[in-house]
Amino acid sequence: MVEALRCLPGVGPKSAQRMAYHLLQHDRHGAKRLAAALSGALEVLHHCSRCNNFTEQEICERCLSSRRDPSQLCVIEMPVDLNSMELTHAYNGLYYVLMGRLSPLDGVGPRELAFERLLQRAGDGLVKEVILATNYTNEGEATAHYLSEMLRARGIRVSRIARGVPVGGELEFTDAATVAQALIERRDY
Amino acid sequence: MSAKQRVDAQPAFLLHSRPYSETSLVLDVFSRDYGRVALLARGARRPRSALRGVLIGFQGLELGWFGGGEVKTLARAEWQGGQPLLAGRGLLLGYYLNELLVRLLPREDGHPLLFDAYASALAALAGGAGDAPELRRFEQILLREIGYGLSLAHDAEGAAVDGQLRYRYLVERGPIPVRGDEGMPSLSGKTLLDMAADDYRDPCTQAESKGLMRQLLAHYLNGKPLQSRRVFMELQEF
Repeated sequence: MVEALRCLPGVGPKSAQRMAYHLLQHDRHGAKRLAAALSGALEVLHHCSRCNNFTEQEICERCLSSRRDPSQLCVIEMPVDLNSMELTHAYNGLYYVLMGRLSPLDGVGPRELAFERLLQRAGDGLVKEVILATNYTNEGEATAHYLSEMLRARGIRVSRIARGVPVGGELEFTDAATVAQALIERRDY
Repeated sequence: MSAKQRVDAQPAFLLHSRPYSETSLVLDVFSRDYGRVALLARGARRPRSALRGVLIGFQGLELGWFGGGEVKTLARAEWQGGQPLLAGRGLLLGYYLNELLVRLLPREDGHPLLFDAYASALAALAGGAGDAPELRRFEQILLREIGYGLSLAHDAEGAAVDGQLRYRYLVERGPIPVRGDEGMPSLSGKTLLDMAADDYRDPCTQAESKGLMRQLLAHYLNGKPLQSRRVFMELQEF
């Protein structure tokens, strides 16, 4: 059991042991619920055939919603990024979740990320613009670059979320790398 | 090699990092005087960590650390900058350089010459200008620094390389002249001389030197393929 708990991120041998003893000694009911929730989730949750996010249905509710604009497709790395995008209330299009990013040193390439599926999704005829919202890390940038080339080659308009000084941010407290990039990518005003 | 260290303001590049415990990172950095060092960056993954905008690959950093074990503790990190971020194809080539260093360079062995070659290769990749010469130069210096220097001006028997002849390069011995067509891959003496003179203007030299370096690197990597190269090749297929 300790060994099994260690598969969780951030759980070392000590915490795994503490969790195991807690569940067995003080919270057997909680342990049962946890076990049921885990196996239940594994059984019913799978990837949405359109946006690749986790869902219980074949196609998730968001992808089926008629209030969403099917001409915009926003590509993000992880399901948590979807929450950040939704919090903006500034986007009403659809999503595609890559479930990762290109990471050459870790052996994560286009096969592992199933780029082919995204290209198919974006080529459904309804999508007019793909918005690349992968992270502004080197890996996220590499991912965005190659996706943009592949999508453009298929005649799809591609855009990338902007980066720069945060809203309400003061230059004095912004890190130098961000200010430098904001300066390089400055635009007419 | 793991004596107690206290290092400050050391020029370095971040090669790779992986998550460690809830909020930290273990960094693989390439520093100018101490070579590859493993550093624990405490709290670097916290949402408001000041390290977030600093610990970026392919950007000049100035790091301070302390500790005695195999993994030291990062004390201070400052972004040096002055160089645009790598983009597109340059990023993938940058990963290739990083993977070569991670795979071939032993830990805690200073190589200032190689460090400078790495920095100037990155600058060339960021500039987007012809990157082939910079990559070949870097590969050559890397092999020389880890003790596998190439013999380019003289063949395995010690005779001067002749620009008119064709050669076969034997790992750890050097080039030997090929007489007639032996059906083995070979390269021209001119390529070897060009490489010795650091002159990569000739397209034939570029192609043949690339092949030679790939053959030699594959040998020193024990035949285990480079992940960054595989990813790069796969990306070309789309």
